[in-house]
Amino acid sequence: MIWQQFLSLAGSYPLALRGLGMTVVLSLISLVLGTLLGFGLGILRTGGNRLISSIIGAWVDLIRGTPFLVQIFLIFFILPEFGIELDAFTAGIIALTNLAACFICEIVAAGIRSVPTGQVEAALASGLSRWQRMRQVVLPQAMRIVLPPLVGQYVLLIKDSSVVSAIGLTDLTRVGWLVVQRVPNGLLVFFLVGVGYFIVCYPLIMLARRLERRMGAAHGEVQL
Amino acid sequence: MTKAGMIQPGLTKTGMIDFRGVNKWFGALNVLRDITLSVEPREVVVVCGPSGSGKSTLIRCINGLETIKDGDLVVDGQRVGDPATNMTQLRTEIGFVFQSFNLYPHKTALENVTLAPIHVRKIPRAEAEHAGRELLAKVGLADKVNAYPAQLSGGQQQRVAIARCLGMRPKIMLFDEPTSALDPEMISEVLDVMVAVAEEGMTMMVVTHEMGFARKVAQRVVFMDAGAIVESGTPDEFFSHPKTDRSRAFLSKILRH
Repeated sequence: MIWQQFLSLAGSYPLALRGLGMTVVLSLISLVLGTLLGFGLGILRTGGNRLISSIIGAWVDLIRGTPFLVQIFLIFFILPEFGIELDAFTAGIIALTNLAACFICEIVAAGIRSVPTGQVEAALASGLSRWQRMRQVVLPQAMRIVLPPLVGQYVLLIKDSSVVSAIGLTDLTRVGWLVVQRVPNGLLVFFLVGVGYFIVCYPLIMLARRLERRMGAAHGEVQL
Repeated sequence: MTKAGMIQPGLTKTGMIDFRGVNKWFGALNVLRDITLSVEPREVVVVCGPSGSGKSTLIRCINGLETIKDGDLVVDGQRVGDPATNMTQLRTEIGFVFQSFNLYPHKTALENVTLAPIHVRKIPRAEAEHAGRELLAKVGLADKVNAYPAQLSGGQQQRVAIARCLGMRPKIMLFDEPTSALDPEMISEVLDVMVAVAEEGMTMMVVTHEMGFARKVAQRVVFMDAGAIVESGTPDEFFSHPKTDRSRAFLSKILRH
């Protein structure tokens, strides 16, 4: 019986590939945009302007303190009431990008704050401009602190992307729901869905490890 | 000579660094009290005094790491804190050596030295690196060009920090207790470099208790206590014949051993 189910599952592989593709594309676009936005927000969050910093802080708290499913419903079902019609893909990208940006903003801000004041003073004293101080002195040092939780966050966000199936996007999770209607073995189907996510996430976990090691070496630390 | 043509001394005579009635508060604490001090070009001034007397704050005001509350501070002809003064530009003329070195840990010794020349002075990389190697050789670290700060001793790090400042070809060098964080056997290697810099005619303000250094190169020693300049004079005058009770008390403490 299991064998029969396997065979009929094998027939669903084009659908599964499409779902995997959707998950990868959604995650990739929103992670890239979310990272850019998150770094920008994180830099502004730690910049001198109190007003900007507290506005960003409030937004980040709001997003971090509400369920992602609710956010995606708001964007997809409520915004059209105000005349902003979005297709499911765009809504998914916006919601995921926003979520990524908010988490990454806090990670980046924490990394920037971890750089000793003396470093900024040294950069200031040698006449580096605000952007040069950030680019040459603060960010490279903050990256050591930022990188491990950043890639960890990527993994979380890829998994969070499964929520977009709720607005009808055929990602990996939704493919699972579709297939399980035909092949009534939820354990097997969702085990395979899990494997699909793992295949996407595992290289990132490996990458995080490699980067951590490289950052350590760049600081002239002894490698064991 | 008409009266109009007469130039009043003290008003137009500007030193490289000119404090005129400078005050600063941290909350209710008056950390700098009515500081008036002029440092001439090529002059080396040593600032000493008990901890918390405002010496570090004094020199940190010069490149704007601290802001002053009132009074005037004119550095290289430009008023510090004036909105019309480009502080970033002014800072390129002022080297600052920190007690804790503050080398960039993610950059090699050479990269530490060449960063500002390349990005601020816009000197071509090859040229900056050539100059950087020469400077590192000058401070005795020709073999440490590619070492990261974590691989260097405190004394070596501080010498890189001095080379980093010299790389900008500054008009003024400020030293904030440059040897206080060092083990005793490393102090002299840093002081030797500082003496060499002084002998090349650099305008320097040095917060230090190293009397040997003061006697060797300083034209003037300024003694501070509780935010005010209490006494100033030549090293010989100050160390051999201190004029005030407070300076005598201070010297008896640092000279005891």
